[in-house]
Amino acid sequence: MKTSSTHSNPGKGIGAFMGRNSVPLMFIIICALFIPISGFSFNYLLNEIITRMGRNIFLILSLLIPIMAGMGLNFGMTLGAMAGQIGLILVADWQIWGIPGIILAMIVSIPISVGLGLLCGKILNMAKGREMVTGYITSYFFNGIYQMVVLYMMGSIIPILHSSIKLPRGYGIRNTVSLLNMRQSLDNLLAIRISGVKIPVLTFIIIALMCLLIVWFRRTKLGQDMRAVGQDMQVARDAGINVERTRIISIVLSTVLASFGMIIYLQNMGNLSTYSSHTQIGMFCIAALLVGGASVEKASIGNVFLGVTLFHTMFIVAPQAGAKITGDSMIGEYFRVFVSYGVITIALIMYETRKRRNKLISGRQLQLAQNEVEK
Amino acid sequence: MKRSGRVFLYRAGAVLVLFAIAAVMFVVGRGHTVFFDNKTLEYEGQSYPSVYRMVVKNKGEEVAKLNKRERGMTAWMGQNFEMEVDVILEKNGEPTTYPIKLKLPYSQDGIVLNLPAMLAGLPREAWMSEFIPSEPLGAVEEEVIPVEEELVPADI
Repeated sequence: MKTSSTHSNPGKGIGAFMGRNSVPLMFIIICALFIPISGFSFNYLLNEIITRMGRNIFLILSLLIPIMAGMGLNFGMTLGAMAGQIGLILVADWQIWGIPGIILAMIVSIPISVGLGLLCGKILNMAKGREMVTGYITSYFFNGIYQMVVLYMMGSIIPILHSSIKLPRGYGIRNTVSLLNMRQSLDNLLAIRISGVKIPVLTFIIIALMCLLIVWFRRTKLGQDMRAVGQDMQVARDAGINVERTRIISIVLSTVLASFGMIIYLQNMGNLSTYSSHTQIGMFCIAALLVGGASVEKASIGNVFLGVTLFHTMFIVAPQAGAKITGDSMIGEYFRVFVSYGVITIALIMYETRKRRNKLISGRQLQLAQNEVEK
Repeated sequence: MKRSGRVFLYRAGAVLVLFAIAAVMFVVGRGHTVFFDNKTLEYEGQSYPSVYRMVVKNKGEEVAKLNKRERGMTAWMGQNFEMEVDVILEKNGEPTTYPIKLKLPYSQDGIVLNLPAMLAGLPREAWMSEFIPSEPLGAVEEEVIPVEEELVPADI
């Protein structure tokens, strides 16, 4: 599913194909080089990749809707992650376990993520054309508010009963909250094992439903409006579409889905780092999407799956390969972080270059047309 | 009916459905830790002694094997608790199985069941009590370090 009809390079042939898919190709080469060096068995790698796919795909899918609406990569998805974490902290304190706990955490996170999404959407509407950097900084701003809520309001204003969650001083949440009672409850239900590889069937069913929902959503009136807004805001406005409202809805949807994604992610991990789990999540989800061949203005479900597979294969093999090559596993650790940030930088540079080039071309065309009229 | 009225009804309906699901989750997902004691209990001047061995099973799976004066535990979701207790009175003795169903109090996280007293048919308050975990003595104040930027995350 393409979320925008804008094609960066409409050319055909091997050169054009390689140009369009340079980032995934680069990662395929990196993985192909690193996998044999790392020495991991095929079964181990497959097991790890499938686990990470189940853990991350839902989160990354939440990025597609804002791209469809022309708002670029939603760095503000961190807000949804915070809402999901608040839901999980409360549910852990209420001692609701297993899948009911996950469902309840999602329900609790809905109003929080809707509120945060509304605020973020309004802010992004004030900063049209600079949505990504605004979203990024907004997430830092809301991180401060999140810390205030979790560190000072929980236990004092918001009731928190259990001392296993609360700080010994009587208010605030501990650095780590155990989610042992709901750990992998979604992944283990209906899970099957094929030659030692665990496949979390229910998680993949949920992901498949989410993909179908996105495909269906794209065909609805609202989905068509978002695509129109994504292509040209002025034309969409002239066509009678409420551009601002459509953009806010896209961010709200993305934030709500991100909160669900974060809950799925954390139930797989089995514990929650209260003050750090959400900080890097946006960055890594965006990096994974870009590795899959997506760009700031175009992303598909295929990009999500390819990106998660390649990015996480690199994440698994890089430290081991680094240790084998240099004798120091930290090299591999730094390499994967370097690649994550590097791929985002390249994508942003490419986007900006393309935008300027298109502007230049349209300017020249306009000049030619004016010259024609003058003649 | 006006469109705005219809929209309001749909939204209100959606909120009600979410509340209903949340209420159901609160009940079915409430977790309890159930402790089993094979300990002698004194009640109204009478003694209910521990037995040689007790084996507690949940859904056919053995969760605790209790010799005299021992305690076992299991985790349970919901309030309708079911278990089977195999009572062995002496060494190499034949077990007698007692299927037990009971309602767990919603408000209690940890519940202690004294099995000898329960099997003797005493009233509920004699064999059921709340487990209150003791605060660790001289607990060290945990320092909270809100992490701004984690350069190399352990896992993603």
